Amino acid sequence: MVEGVLTTLSISVLSFLLGMAAGLLLAFGRVYEKGSRPLVEVFEKFFRGIPELVLMLMFYWGVGSYIPFPFKNAVFTATFVLGMRSAANQSQIFRGAIRGIGEEQMVAARSLGFSKLWSAVHVMIPQVFVFSTPGLGSEYALLIKDSAYAFVIGVPDIMFITNSIRKATLDPVTPYLAAAFLYILLTFPVATWLDAWGSRRKKKLGL
Amino acid sequence: MLGEAEERKSWGYKEMTDIVMECKNLWKTYEQHLIAVKDVSLQIGEGDIKLIFGPSGSGKSTFLRCLAMLTPPDRGDILLRGECLTKAGTDLNKARTRIGFVFQQIYLFRHLTALGNVELALRRVLKLPKEEAEKRALEALEEVKMQEWSHHYPSQLSGGQQQRVGIARALARNPDIILLDEPTSALDPELTGEVIDTLRDLAKKGTTMLIVSHEMPFAREVADEMIFFDEGSIIETGPPEQFFTNPKSERAKKFMARLIKRTKRE
Repeated sequence: MVEGVLTTLSISVLSFLLGMAAGLLLAFGRVYEKGSRPLVEVFEKFFRGIPELVLMLMFYWGVGSYIPFPFKNAVFTATFVLGMRSAANQSQIFRGAIRGIGEEQMVAARSLGFSKLWSAVHVMIPQVFVFSTPGLGSEYALLIKDSAYAFVIGVPDIMFITNSIRKATLDPVTPYLAAAFLYILLTFPVATWLDAWGSRRKKKLGL
Repeated sequence: MLGEAEERKSWGYKEMTDIVMECKNLWKTYEQHLIAVKDVSLQIGEGDIKLIFGPSGSGKSTFLRCLAMLTPPDRGDILLRGECLTKAGTDLNKARTRIGFVFQQIYLFRHLTALGNVELALRRVLKLPKEEAEKRALEALEEVKMQEWSHHYPSQLSGGQQQRVGIARALARNPDIILLDEPTSALDPELTGEVIDTLRDLAKKGTTMLIVSHEMPFAREVADEMIFFDEGSIIETGPPEQFFTNPKSERAKKFMARLIKRTKRE
């Protein structure tokens, strides 16, 4: 069971970070490089519009049969699909934050000789995070929960192991209750802490 | 004893030799119709303090932003120490490190302390080592008398204090020129004094400045030249006395009369 928790946790955290990196890229691209807009739109529509279960199966069985490496690796595909879906979500969270922070912070950074990219890194992103904490908290919780879909392609996560225990013990109640408890344990503390940290920080900085 | 600025003024402001910044026939149009800057030419010499004033919406801010290439002009040339900024392929980021800009709404980085705000560009643009960047940032904060507040976040400072940090941020890199866009007009009246005092100190040190401002007593005291701006063009330029005693253009005359009336009321 410990293994299952670790698998769930690592898939969720990795896809969260992947989604963050790609989400930042998408959000800044969409706001500051007009040409990238159609591309970002299509990406977001694709990953937000299709159910996760479908994406998971599509990439593992569909894409995987043409490009076996790395899509035939279930852990990779699960992380990839969750990460890209999260990128589409996080991109929207970050875009709102960039708008909220305002164009002026960027102008002030440019006036000091920063390029667009470095203005984003040193001035915008630190503030974007503070602004986005409530959204990021629920996005993290969402990923922990959605990572349960990975069990359909055979990733040995909490769900997968719960299912095997149920099959072995023929107890239809206890394993699911245990799983439910574990999922709650993994989501709430982090999401709540993130939200509280963000609120404190926001208050301090007057954002 | 005369301060450096007064001494310079007594020589006559036209004698300045080195031109720090210059613009020739600058135009800027917004969305085809609204002409914000109309054929403006200007020279600023080493140690010059020039003050732009005029009705709101007359294009003063846009003009200042054009000079720093924050809003690229449509036509015309901008030269910084003889180097053309409007030519394609110019490294504008590098050029901007030599231009200080102070904003009306201040725009301090809200996630950084006063020290962090001043230090950021020293470390990340000029790539100075941490100790040196910090030393120079603290010196700049000292110049605006904010060193005691160096570890406060912008949200913990008053508007006047924030603007002094804004000035320190622009100053810390020793730019060739500082452009100030109405540095006091977003502040409560009782806070403008401390910012004006800071600017007066800079003026005494011979800092080259182009200031958009309507602080008339300050203008009269420190400006080498005043520039009256209206509808995107320079209408009249001259020493402060000319504007205070006998403006040549009808528009400047009317505007000065209104300003003086307002100042008296305050």
